[in-house]
Amino acid sequence: MDNKAPATDNPVDYIQHHLQPLAVGDGFWRINIDTMFFSILLAGLVMIIAYRVGRTVTSGAPTGMQNVLESLIDFVNSLVKEAFPKPNKIVGPIGLTIFVWVLLMNAMDLIPVDLLPKLADMMGIHYLKVVPTTDPHTTFAMSLCIFLLCIYYNVKIKGFGGYMKSFMVHPFGIYLAPVNFILTLVEELAKPLSLALRLFGNMFTGELVFLLIALLPWYIIPIPGSLWAIFHILVITLQAFIFMVLTIMYISMASEESH
Amino acid sequence: MNVTATLFGQMITFIVFVWFIKAYLWEPLTQAMESRTKKISEGLAAAEQGQKKIEQATIEFSTRIDEAKTQASSIINDAESKSKNIVEEARVAAREEAQKIAKTSSQQLEQEVNAAREKLKSDVAALSLLCAEKIITKEVDKNMHDKIIDEVLNK
Repeated sequence: MDNKAPATDNPVDYIQHHLQPLAVGDGFWRINIDTMFFSILLAGLVMIIAYRVGRTVTSGAPTGMQNVLESLIDFVNSLVKEAFPKPNKIVGPIGLTIFVWVLLMNAMDLIPVDLLPKLADMMGIHYLKVVPTTDPHTTFAMSLCIFLLCIYYNVKIKGFGGYMKSFMVHPFGIYLAPVNFILTLVEELAKPLSLALRLFGNMFTGELVFLLIALLPWYIIPIPGSLWAIFHILVITLQAFIFMVLTIMYISMASEESH
Repeated sequence: MNVTATLFGQMITFIVFVWFIKAYLWEPLTQAMESRTKKISEGLAAAEQGQKKIEQATIEFSTRIDEAKTQASSIINDAESKSKNIVEEARVAAREEAQKIAKTSSQQLEQEVNAAREKLKSDVAALSLLCAEKIITKEVDKNMHDKIIDEVLNK
């Protein structure tokens, strides 16, 4: 892959090449190494910072990173307190983790689309998808965890019978039980699905637009490129925020006493 | 998208990440924040109390000062009147003393004058007797003449 020439000569190839993940294995054991690598790298980065801040935490005047993390925690906590009547120990950390992780993974989008793949290409790795959230595996992994947690809370708060009953009576009352069951099932399944697909779709199209911009002649690229990048900063933050807020909302809905 | 190991790998990553954040960041930090909130509210309460104490102390201080001022002025008044009294007394005593001294001295003087007069009288009597004795030697009866002289002198 040389400079612009092959890209503009064969745009379909260029885009498909960029959307091809670096994967090993077949069938179930197919592992997208790039997705795993970048998501774990970012998670590890956050964990190291979190560990260092958590170890030297002070209840006196906070400084530096503790300030940043405290304001983040306060921000998440205010959302959690709005949604939850009773204190919940796990939702706060989940919300914070999702926000930080998704934000960082999305932010990988702002690195020029060709930079890291080209570096990898020089090192002999020919496929590389840099943004983990453009891989549906990542978004579905998070939304599935949240879905399982929702089921756990539903069963814990309402009891298994109560949870099943909410499937039967929810929108139209007990006399239309089969319809209710289907509707509620679709509603419940739509939650994790929409959660995952929203993030994936936004990031994937964002990446695609960056790739399309990269196909333009080099003297035009800066204008749409920078505009889209600036707009994308908003999208990145907004998507991370939406994912977090919806997570908190879903878990709070699941842990309500009755529908 | 197929269900692959990547999905489960990402799920495990996510769960570990959440657990780690909860254990090493969320809990210590929220605890620290709570204790700070407590500390700050305690500090504010203490500051308010201190303010109140200061106000009380100023009030007490001013009343004490007022008391002390009145006390001091009464003490000064007392002292002034006492000193006046003392001066007055001293003046009276001095005057009495002076009078007494004057009196005794005048008495003494009088006594001395009297004594001198007595002496002079007797001296004069003796002298005149002597003179008379010398002048009228034999014929004159001493006793008779004494009587006459006494009469004269007494007059």
